[in-house]
Amino acid sequence: MTVNIHHPAPSKHTAKAKNFRTSVERDLADEELRENFRGAMKFLSERRKSAFPDELELQTLREQCRLIKQRCLLKLPYLLEQLEDNLTRNGIQVHWAETTEEANSIIQRIISKREATRVVKGKSMVSEETELNAYLEKFGIECLEADMGEYIVQLAKEEPSHIIVPAIHKNKYQVADLFAKNIPGFEHTTDVDKLINEGRRVLRDKFKHADVGITGVNFAVAETGTLCLVENEGNGQMCTAVPNVHIAMTGIEKVVEWLDDVPPLLSLLTRSATGQAITTYFNMITKPRQPGEKDGPEEVHLVLLDNGRSQAFADEELRQTLQCIRCGACMNHCPVYKRIGGHAYGTVYPGPIGKIISPHMLGLDATKDLPTASSLCGACGEVCPVKIPIPKLLLRLRQESVKVAGPEETVMGGEGANRKTTEALIWQGWSAMHRHPALYRASMWLATRLHKFMPAKIGPWTSVRSAPHIAPKTLHELVAQRKNTRAKP
Amino acid sequence: MAILNSQHLRDYPARPDKVYLYGTCLADTLFPESGMDAITLLEQQGIEVLFPMGQTCCGQPAYNSGYEQEARKVALAQIKQFPLEIPIVIISGSCGGMMRHHYADLLRDEPGIEDFCNRIFEFTEFLVHVLKIKLQDKGASEKVALHTSCAARREMGVHITGRALLSQLENVTLITHENESECCGFGGTFAVKHADISAAMVADKTQSLLEADVVRYVTADNGCRMNINGSLEYQKQSLRGEHIASYLLSRVTGGTDGEPS
Amino acid sequence: MSTIHSERSGARGRILEKLKAQVAGADYGKLPAEPSYAYPPMSRDAALARFTECLQANHAEVIEVSAETIPLAIERELVKRNISKLICGQKGKFSGSLESYFSRSDSEGIELVKYDFPLSDNKSRLFDEAPASFTHSRCSIAATGTIVLWPSEDEPRTLSLVPPLHFVLVDTHKMVSDFATLLKSEHWGAELPANVLLISGPSKTADIQQTLAYGAHGPKELVVLLLNNNTDKE
Repeated sequence: MTVNIHHPAPSKHTAKAKNFRTSVERDLADEELRENFRGAMKFLSERRKSAFPDELELQTLREQCRLIKQRCLLKLPYLLEQLEDNLTRNGIQVHWAETTEEANSIIQRIISKREATRVVKGKSMVSEETELNAYLEKFGIECLEADMGEYIVQLAKEEPSHIIVPAIHKNKYQVADLFAKNIPGFEHTTDVDKLINEGRRVLRDKFKHADVGITGVNFAVAETGTLCLVENEGNGQMCTAVPNVHIAMTGIEKVVEWLDDVPPLLSLLTRSATGQAITTYFNMITKPRQPGEKDGPEEVHLVLLDNGRSQAFADEELRQTLQCIRCGACMNHCPVYKRIGGHAYGTVYPGPIGKIISPHMLGLDATKDLPTASSLCGACGEVCPVKIPIPKLLLRLRQESVKVAGPEETVMGGEGANRKTTEALIWQGWSAMHRHPALYRASMWLATRLHKFMPAKIGPWTSVRSAPHIAPKTLHELVAQRKNTRAKP
Repeated sequence: MAILNSQHLRDYPARPDKVYLYGTCLADTLFPESGMDAITLLEQQGIEVLFPMGQTCCGQPAYNSGYEQEARKVALAQIKQFPLEIPIVIISGSCGGMMRHHYADLLRDEPGIEDFCNRIFEFTEFLVHVLKIKLQDKGASEKVALHTSCAARREMGVHITGRALLSQLENVTLITHENESECCGFGGTFAVKHADISAAMVADKTQSLLEADVVRYVTADNGCRMNINGSLEYQKQSLRGEHIASYLLSRVTGGTDGEPS
Repeated sequence: MSTIHSERSGARGRILEKLKAQVAGADYGKLPAEPSYAYPPMSRDAALARFTECLQANHAEVIEVSAETIPLAIERELVKRNISKLICGQKGKFSGSLESYFSRSDSEGIELVKYDFPLSDNKSRLFDEAPASFTHSRCSIAATGTIVLWPSEDEPRTLSLVPPLHFVLVDTHKMVSDFATLLKSEHWGAELPANVLLISGPSKTADIQQTLAYGAHGPKELVVLLLNNNTDKE
């Protein structure tokens, strides 16, 4: 069986992910940022909790959805073909892209063919993955983010710090200042209603004049050839109903087999993400504008992107990464994300899911600090709606990152990126000691005898903690001295 | 029930005459009293406790660092130390999770590994579900908090059994602290590899515990205890954590030492 | 176009080949059974209560009407908001009664506008000159307080989206308990229209500091006209 290792062209995310440690240091020191995330994570985790009052229902749904996604992945190539057949029959044009560059190029050509320059975009993490905005700009095409959070982030020339709530790192004062700097005629206010109204005013004008609308896809239904979009604001609906062209883009893992697969997934998605029973809009697009219709796009396109997904697919354990339905619950419950925020990761997808998916997109060499940046507390795996064993996959990536890299990579790009000779030797020595009881006991005996000489400073541990106190005698010794307990030799 | 995604839900055996005690490497050098107190408490319940001298470490540090083979060899050495078909009681939820759940994967080709994993019981789990212990509180009235390690909570259900045990102590009031279920920031080598993130986590954890206004916190995990106590000591706070075995023993014998290490 | 096509087919072939190499030979007959949660059945009253409660929690206004009072209720709400124009289709079940009601000589001066123009060339008519709209609905979902629209030539997609105030008529006899039941009972898998839209409230966002604000891009207000006439069974 051939494994095709994904070697992506370096992107701005490659450099940013490599900078993880510096970014963490920067963001941990930013008190305002810390406070913004503290508040947001508390809010979102409480929302989720209140959306699942019945534990049995929650766990039944999770098991159901895990199995739905696993079935759809097991049939993935065939479902993609079926999806393509049905979409084509419905009049929707399907495009395939192995790399982000290919996806961008396909989209640019569709736009340029219509001599269009004004594009509005609904929320799409895949378009962040391909850095579409910057690409289109080079061709003189304006691509305006229409989701309120994305719009804020675009104005600030930043990137989303959360996959569901892109501007979660900003508070209303920061948004007000941003609007004041960038929107002519904006009357300074920190009233959220007024701020949103201002965004509405600007963006409505853009919708009205847009030539092309771009969106992501939440579920692509193979059975009927239907693209489903989940949203609250109506920007997705605007992008798919007003302009003459609609281009949807999605990762290949978003396909589901049956329409009947959608309701449980939708229910878990919105409840896990924001604690909503359902979002304000659920939009199902099956065909372009039909004869006699007065609105809707004349042309609808779907761009299917691989970008390392088929590499994850090739390993049965790592394939589970592709079950993700992008709800963001793992971020909302992650003690690491809560403290460092989304930008520090440097990747498009931050948080626990980002740690397991980004190595496939950027290579393990660029992302080698991510799998270790977890206490393996398990909160992410506990809330994941499709039961991706994220902690287990982090362990697997740790193994891949310290293994002896052979002449050829066998699972993913960047294998062995974290392997350091000294560390490997330490673990070999550790292992030898702990499988030879006498050696172990002698070492522990020695350690306890030397406890008075224990240094007060032991590396980073003691920068915020006192050094641990070594006991005068080991447990083994104490047991041996005790009468009742049968110490077994 | 299986669907309830509770790894810790299981069938429990009848009360045995004897058990093995797994002390863990951390208890060995840093907190031996927690192992000794666990033994005393079990023996007070009429259980004979065997302590194989060949036991060392469950292998978790290497396993969590990605050194699977190194961990595997240590894990294999451990299972050889426990030949009798009796329960193995572990005084740490996280090592318990390692041996009960991760050994099944790590040693998947080893014959009988499932039986071995099924013999693993976390200390409080064993007291509650197997011994069905009844505790007579002889200590003075006081307020305590409970810290459950993440692995202990998610893999072994220790938050439930820990609470069940403390609730039997009639003079003890259990105070729930802010974000009780959140990680303290230990995570083994994580605390060293990503020291600044770990520091931010333990700072919040100690603050929540201090705000709970308790005389001590109790935990079934010496790893978290080393982390949290180290931070408290560094902050020159007097609050300390105690292993739940030591705490229960002191309550039933009436002598709260008041000076947890 | 030819270059796009060749690139497409190349990428397509390679992606599918990689995926098929992994799952070829998988036994699809032996997939694990997928559990599903058995939701307790809802009585008609409970369903209605749940539907209304969800919509109201999502900031929609729910007004009970009878077939005869639909235009009156709309008129009252428009007058209350000082709006004198309503855009709607012409072929829906109640389009005729709206037309005759609002064209009467002693009306409150509400102008009824037909959505009878292609949007591309008339965007201002919808974006700038239509403060309120009215649509029918296909059916509704009790569990989540959701209204199902199948936009059509007569009631296009943007009719429920662009005007800041949207009136939607919901016939309670076409209410189902949940989305899954709806898909099954109506066999949606067999054939779907170009666009289906599920609406569960007015447009909203919490993108600024988790503070809910309504009317992000779509309607700021959703007024649900609940047609709940027990004698009017179809």
